[in-house]
Amino acid sequence: MTAFAKAPRRAPMAGRLLLLLLVAPAAAGAQTPREIVDRVDRMLRGASSRADIVMEIATAHWTRSLEMRAWSLGTAYALVRVVAPPREAGSATLKVDDEVWNYLPRVDRTIKIPPSLMMGAWMGSHFTNDDLVKESRMIDDYDIALAYDGDRDGVRVWEFALTPKPTAPVVWGKVVEQVRQGDLMPTWARYYDERGTLVRTMTFGDYRTFGARLVPTVMTVRPADKPGERTTIRYRALEFDVPLTPDFFSLRNLQARH
Amino acid sequence: MRSSVWWRIAWRNLWRNRRRTLITASALAIGFFGAVLMVALDDGISRELVDNGTGVLTGQVQIHARDWRPDRSLYATLGGDAGTDVGALLARIRAVPGVRAAAPRVWAGGLISAGSQTEGVVLMGAVPALERGVSRILDALVAGGAPRDGAKELALGSELARKLRVRPGAEVVVVAPAADGSLGNDVYRVSGVFRTGLDDLDGAYVVLPLAALQSLLALEPGRIHEVAIALPDPWTATAAAPRIAAGLAAAGGPPGATVEPWPVFSPEIAEYARLVEASNGLVVGIVFLFAIFGVANTSLMGTYERRREFAVVRALGVGPAGVARTVVYEGLALGVLALAAGAAITAPVLVLWHHVPLNLGWLIGNLEVAGALVRPVLRVEYSADGPLLGAAGLLVTAVLAALYPALRAARVPPADALAGR
Repeated sequence: MTAFAKAPRRAPMAGRLLLLLLVAPAAAGAQTPREIVDRVDRMLRGASSRADIVMEIATAHWTRSLEMRAWSLGTAYALVRVVAPPREAGSATLKVDDEVWNYLPRVDRTIKIPPSLMMGAWMGSHFTNDDLVKESRMIDDYDIALAYDGDRDGVRVWEFALTPKPTAPVVWGKVVEQVRQGDLMPTWARYYDERGTLVRTMTFGDYRTFGARLVPTVMTVRPADKPGERTTIRYRALEFDVPLTPDFFSLRNLQARH
Repeated sequence: MRSSVWWRIAWRNLWRNRRRTLITASALAIGFFGAVLMVALDDGISRELVDNGTGVLTGQVQIHARDWRPDRSLYATLGGDAGTDVGALLARIRAVPGVRAAAPRVWAGGLISAGSQTEGVVLMGAVPALERGVSRILDALVAGGAPRDGAKELALGSELARKLRVRPGAEVVVVAPAADGSLGNDVYRVSGVFRTGLDDLDGAYVVLPLAALQSLLALEPGRIHEVAIALPDPWTATAAAPRIAAGLAAAGGPPGATVEPWPVFSPEIAEYARLVEASNGLVVGIVFLFAIFGVANTSLMGTYERRREFAVVRALGVGPAGVARTVVYEGLALGVLALAAGAAITAPVLVLWHHVPLNLGWLIGNLEVAGALVRPVLRVEYSADGPLLGAAGLLVTAVLAALYPALRAARVPPADALAGR
């Protein structure tokens, strides 16, 4: 089973996306959506990764591109460091459990993102800090239902509708996600607010094999209220099961220039 | 008979029972005094509210780019992406009659961090020397001083300073998304801490020199979000805004600018002031409602005592209307007398109270009403409303109170009354 089911719930941030891409596709058995998701969750646990990423952000006022290197360990740890352009190089984000720190090389300071600002933009992109910290708790936070099973554009797909459980600490009102049945690759996910209004759309593409695993290597998020704006994350290199330990994800390492 | 005779009779009747007349007139005069003072006090509170609501931060008139509201986008600068000649713009605004001062501002949202504490804040870029002309935020410093132009300094609210555990002299990091897409970040020295009494400002506002914030946000020097304007009298704002807009239009810019008076951008304060104003009529009404029964009572007693006189007058050929008229004239004369007395006691108290307001600061702290700060200082304001409403209320009361006694007097049957029946 792939990690596709993680995506619908939350836009995976760079680090999180890595987690999402860690598992090899498997043939879909006759399982309930919940079982699929549960299996993905379990398979994700304990995995680690290292990736080279290019993030392109386009807004009405500017377009920019950041090259980043990212590490992840399980669902709890992620570290993302900007390597280019030079002006931004060294900027880094550390996630440990539900907490996020940003390192600002220009002033050589680390700031912790307060809970009230978790919905703020991450690195000027259309991702939020919240995207970064959400762990894989799909089956805990959402009721998952199969909304569609059939052919679309000549491809056999499933569409899952995810509605948050009443007590779940999630920001979305509903998430709808489409997955290809053949290889369990996600194709798109739509995020709705509590009033049922579309907030953003995420699309996946350019499925390629990294480390013997098929993964989508391009992810684009588009905010619904700002037509023409988008953030695209592209994987240039991706390694799985790299030797990493939790102490790698330290504040000291956040500030180190690699 | 000519009406002057009836007036004369009314006037004489008034003084037949001097004590009763003086007591009744006193009741009316004190009613007038109370009504005028309460209206003046209401006006004082309303003025305090508007002065503080517009004087602490917003100014009385603001100029923005048309697309500034509601998103307050970083890019919605005056004159668009090209910006504007700020010096020339301020000069044009100051040239408009009735404008006391004008100050440019840049606004942004960001993070401020000190040690392990980080808070989300509103960043306000201002020219401290000009800002003092339109707002009191930099006059509310409780520690340190205002940030200096050209220095990497900032002033922040007292509650924010407490949360960050910083004092003047401390270093803080400010982070904000910049106009070029980068994450602006820099280190600043805390120059001062302000306490305005308004939770929003004290808990989340940071004031930096205009140029320092523009630099952080990667905005050109010509790009500002707002010009705040101070007027000598806040109540002239609605009339002044179109004059300023016309002045700018005549000078050719900046294009797409909107000029708004405070009732537009602080509607809650305007609503509250209107509510206070609307309550004035009610206050006067209640005061004289109490007076009307007292006056009617004494007036009625006066007419009962004079049953025989009315009978004689009727017997001499005066109609019921004539008798009624003399009683009403009497009430009116009493009202005029009471008004003169009321004005005589009210005026000095009004003047005194205006110049020596009652400060209840020792009893209660500052209040926040409709997002504006109100000091517990009871000051009366002069206005035409109070005395006019009070005078109208007093005279109406005097006449209304005389109507029923007049009716009774007119119905006195001459023969029966003369016969003592």
